[in-house]
Amino acid sequence: MNDRVRCIADLHMQRPRSRALWWSMGALGLLGIYSWTWGLATGDLSFGDTFSARRLQNLERFLGEIRPYPLHGVEWDTGIALDWARTLMSEHGYEAMVTTLAISVVAICMAGLVGAMLALPAARTLARADAYLPTAKPATRGVRFAWAALVTVTRGLMVFLRAIPEYVWAFLLVTMLGVTAWPAVLALAIHNAGIMGRLQSEVIENVPPTTPATLRGLGATRSQVALFALMPETLNRFLLFFFSRWETCVREATILGLLGMASLGAVISESRAGQRLDEMMFFVLVGSLLVVVGDALSILARRLVREAG
Amino acid sequence: MVRDAGALRRPPPIGPRGLVFAGIAAAGVWSFVLLDVPAERLLPGSGLLPELRDLRVLGDFLSRAVSPALDYESSFVPDSAPPLLMKVLDGAHRTVAYAAMAMTLSLLLAFPLGFVASSAWWRGDPARVTTATRFVPPLLFGGVRALIAFMRSIHELLWAIVFLAAMGYSTFAAILAIVIPYAGTLAKVFSEILDEAPRDTALALQATGASRTQVFVFGLLPRALPDMAAYAFYRFECAIRSAAILGFFGLETLGKFISSSFDEGYYGEVWTYIYALFALVLVMEWWSGALRRKVTA
Repeated sequence: MNDRVRCIADLHMQRPRSRALWWSMGALGLLGIYSWTWGLATGDLSFGDTFSARRLQNLERFLGEIRPYPLHGVEWDTGIALDWARTLMSEHGYEAMVTTLAISVVAICMAGLVGAMLALPAARTLARADAYLPTAKPATRGVRFAWAALVTVTRGLMVFLRAIPEYVWAFLLVTMLGVTAWPAVLALAIHNAGIMGRLQSEVIENVPPTTPATLRGLGATRSQVALFALMPETLNRFLLFFFSRWETCVREATILGLLGMASLGAVISESRAGQRLDEMMFFVLVGSLLVVVGDALSILARRLVREAG
Repeated sequence: MVRDAGALRRPPPIGPRGLVFAGIAAAGVWSFVLLDVPAERLLPGSGLLPELRDLRVLGDFLSRAVSPALDYESSFVPDSAPPLLMKVLDGAHRTVAYAAMAMTLSLLLAFPLGFVASSAWWRGDPARVTTATRFVPPLLFGGVRALIAFMRSIHELLWAIVFLAAMGYSTFAAILAIVIPYAGTLAKVFSEILDEAPRDTALALQATGASRTQVFVFGLLPRALPDMAAYAFYRFECAIRSAAILGFFGLETLGKFISSSFDEGYYGEVWTYIYALFALVLVMEWWSGALRRKVTA
């Protein structure tokens, strides 16, 4: 009996748990309580104002106005609504959808290329004096320092690229490059290059050293190892990241249009500026449809990649 | 035998991965070509190459990256204005606080939604099938899944714009704009984590005769909670970014300061705010990354 109790006590001690995690969650909880107290106390957050009679009146007007305008004050007719939707789609909708997709595709291709490049000097297993090959005489301190500096600088650059949100990059770029699709493309590419680079460098660091070490032993250079050992071994993971980041790019490409660039966001903000709220809501829903389509495509592609093994 | 060896040596000319690559290449080239045309056609007068004046602005802006402002650049500063660095701190504080508020609400919503959207929640006792248990669960399950898919599929900025149009600006509406898509995403991931959690404890409890609720709460949930917590922390990091961006739509955060200083041409101040945001995200990324490594290890 005593044995069984000890057994259970042992099991209890072995259960997976992480102090750091629960401390962090506790901190987050306290932060939540503090923030709500602060927000309600400083009056930034007034429920009375949010749900005041004036605002509820606004809401009522809004709900009336998002009804397709040919149907204002008329009985609902699905045929008319469909006609209205079809006109909107052929006027702006299809073009904006295609542009949004194109922005996201070009951006993720650029981000993928740049990220894959940045990952190499950021991977500690590759960017070092004795990469995959213990040499007879250890490298001098200067050489080791130079490699460490390269890793740190590359990583720092990638952190900076991804820490600044796409929207901020796009906001800064649009003033300088003008209102074309390119600020959106570049903003997405910059932000995602930082993310792809980080993910890919972690994957490279986790590659089992057998193949790269063999190549190194046969006299391959670092770039040959990267091309013929690391790339084949990491390609699948890279493609999985590529598609999951592309999903986000589709979302964000829609949004960046709010700054005036030719994606769905531009159409949305134009209809808002023109007080055509029915159109605005319609295009918001088109945007959500686009996101669903993007997600489905990405899931399909990732399944293909996984099948390839 | 011989044919088999030959087949081993020569894989099919194009496998699924080849198809994926061909798809990416085709989509990339096609999109690139496509962007060139409508970009110019949709917005007449905007050439692809930046004008000389714009290049000078770009140079001015980039050169301030190494010398962010430590004090206001405007010659007229009202006496009541706090020192710039205090304003930066205030912006960072507000960004974190609004993100935390959005996060608390999202989590409150995401737990019940995530439970109902997981198949583990509905894994019932096959002996006790009645008309109600046959029809109600699939309806609820499907309905909630559709609901969270919808919440997720509209970006927080679009929710913000819809709320702006519907009710006018208020801080609470801006927070709500973050809450809706975040609750959807959290609920989806929570349901996936619950479905993938190891079921050993749950099965043991079931064998000893625990009720469905007991199995879920004491068997399954504890196995899933660490992953859920780590993911929630990662979303908090994202919420900070989202709160900053909602600054461009009126929420009093770093984003608002960035946009107003940029519009005034005070590029040094812009960089100060950008670096503040950078520091904030950096700390959070390091923290949530360390947690995730601990949990998955």
